[in-house]
Amino acid sequence: MERTERLLDLVALLLDARAPLTWSAVHESFPDDYGGSPEAAERKFERDKAELLELGIPIAFVPATDEREAGYVIDRAQYYLPEPGLTPEELAVLYAAGSASLASGAFPGRQDLAHALRKIGFFADGPLPVPKVRLELGALAEARDLPARLELLWAAINGRKAVELEYFSPHSRTLTQRKVDPYGLALRRGLWSLVGYCHLRRSIRTFHVHRIRQLSVNAKSPKTADFEVPDGFALHDYVAHWPWQHRFHEPVEVELELTGALAALGGQLFPGERSNGAQVTVTATDLDGLLKYVMSLGPEATVRGPETVKAKLKALALRVMFAHSAEEARP
Amino acid sequence: MNPSTEKGRPLVYERLRRLLFLVPFVSRNQGLKVEEVAKAAGLSSAQLLEDLELLTLVGRPPFQPDDFVDIYVDDDRVFVDLDQRLSAPPRLTAAEGVALAAAAELLRPAAGDALRSALQKLERVLPEQALQRYRDMGRQLDVTVEGPRGMEALSQGIVELREVEFEYLTANRATTEKRRVQPYELFSFRGQWYLSAYCLMREGTRLFRVDRLSNATVTETRFKQPEHVGAARLPANSEAETWVRVQFEATAAPYVIERFGDEAKQVGEGRVEVRVPGDSERWVTHWVLSFGGDAVVVEPEWARQAVAKAAAAWLGR
Repeated sequence: MERTERLLDLVALLLDARAPLTWSAVHESFPDDYGGSPEAAERKFERDKAELLELGIPIAFVPATDEREAGYVIDRAQYYLPEPGLTPEELAVLYAAGSASLASGAFPGRQDLAHALRKIGFFADGPLPVPKVRLELGALAEARDLPARLELLWAAINGRKAVELEYFSPHSRTLTQRKVDPYGLALRRGLWSLVGYCHLRRSIRTFHVHRIRQLSVNAKSPKTADFEVPDGFALHDYVAHWPWQHRFHEPVEVELELTGALAALGGQLFPGERSNGAQVTVTATDLDGLLKYVMSLGPEATVRGPETVKAKLKALALRVMFAHSAEEARP
Repeated sequence: MNPSTEKGRPLVYERLRRLLFLVPFVSRNQGLKVEEVAKAAGLSSAQLLEDLELLTLVGRPPFQPDDFVDIYVDDDRVFVDLDQRLSAPPRLTAAEGVALAAAAELLRPAAGDALRSALQKLERVLPEQALQRYRDMGRQLDVTVEGPRGMEALSQGIVELREVEFEYLTANRATTEKRRVQPYELFSFRGQWYLSAYCLMREGTRLFRVDRLSNATVTETRFKQPEHVGAARLPANSEAETWVRVQFEATAAPYVIERFGDEAKQVGEGRVEVRVPGDSERWVTHWVLSFGGDAVVVEPEWARQAVAKAAAAWLGR
């Protein structure tokens, strides 16, 4: 009997049973499948049980009582998906988000997501309203391998399996081989990052998924976790939202001033930083990133202090002016 | 797509998960066409027929005729004799819940309250034993699409078909203008949110960058959406009228190549050159400045001057 078939039979058998099913009853129902020595048969059944649990099927062993023998049950109340009671608007939001993510191509857990959508749509009558929101997640020209990489990483993260990767650093322009315990994936401004424990650097590191050139998941003992994620680990501690938040140095408080059309936009341009609209105090752990961001806002954004940072902005501006001055030879 | 080529999970797992959905789905939607059932299950018709064939073998020991799942195709339509055991699909697995919650998170800037309540309800239909795993796994997938303020008003206008007013920072003139629009669609492209709307001032469909608009308010005026609102044109750059050539230092080149791919031309000494639309002087200037001196405009002259002038402003000249 094919394994899928046997597993489905098991589900049907257990859903039907009015009393816990003893191991001998299970064994008798599938004499050919659970053949061989008693130990081998029981091990095979254990593997099947594990597979069903992985699928979210609440199969449990209940001990013997005075009235009945010990055996296996599926808790029906926990098995069947209840009507989730989503309003059409809520369903539409989940559908729009899910479909947009699937359509974007670059989203981990695509299979899981597709199944989740089918399940929540199960009770819906009639076509689902689609809100007018779209997402384009790929911010890169070269993203061909991205969907497959994300899918592999997602499987490795869920199974807590170590990965081997070849990582390209655009800074040093070198490839390094890394063994990483993958803790999680994060999406920021269109780019996916992998956060995990890097065995080469012996610390938690962040990798851009699009800079991973080769990737393989440890195939040994797929059901056994290779690592534990440390308590208190949070992805957002490692993945910067904004250019000034990369952890490159100790935090520096920088006073910024916004004028002209930007004067009221402090809170919007520097979310989460202290701002009264025109004046913003930014806590930066990547000054270079902050200054480039400030420059991208144009001269209506400028640094008021400290002096060292003001000087840095001026040095950058001088460099730009020099490169663009009329006397200078064209590059 | 052949399921066996799908990466990540073994074939048995995917197939089983599919079949446990298929029976209840057909049971609830008797007599749908093969093609429709296949589409709902994310399969090709051939794969569906293969799955159905396997299902006819599925039963319950001792495997008497009545013990089988009676699912069949009649005149290209799929039926199942009501199977009490498989009347509803299994609950969501922790991984399914997390994937859905993470995807939904992407819409948070535009979705407002409906999203929060949807996620609460989602949590309630997870099996108890999956709940802890769901919460743990939630820490493993963190997606944020930063939405600038004002998104709620815009999405409300879209849903309720009400005109919206806002102040818009124009691309070239660095001034704000009051606009009144009929909002059609919000979308995120390369990290930026855009609103596609009919602008009553310009009398035409326009794209607005959400981060450039402020004080968005929903008005009481309803509008009727035209029948043929296609998906908004992406802010593509293939139709620009003028172009600006920009060269990058070797230090910045790898990052530029990541973004531009083959469009980035090697120009010697590790430097690369790209061509970007020059429709908006303000955009070009700010974009070049964002590289902090690693990007230099080659031509046209007006763009070189605009960058030099902006840089001079910081130097007090």
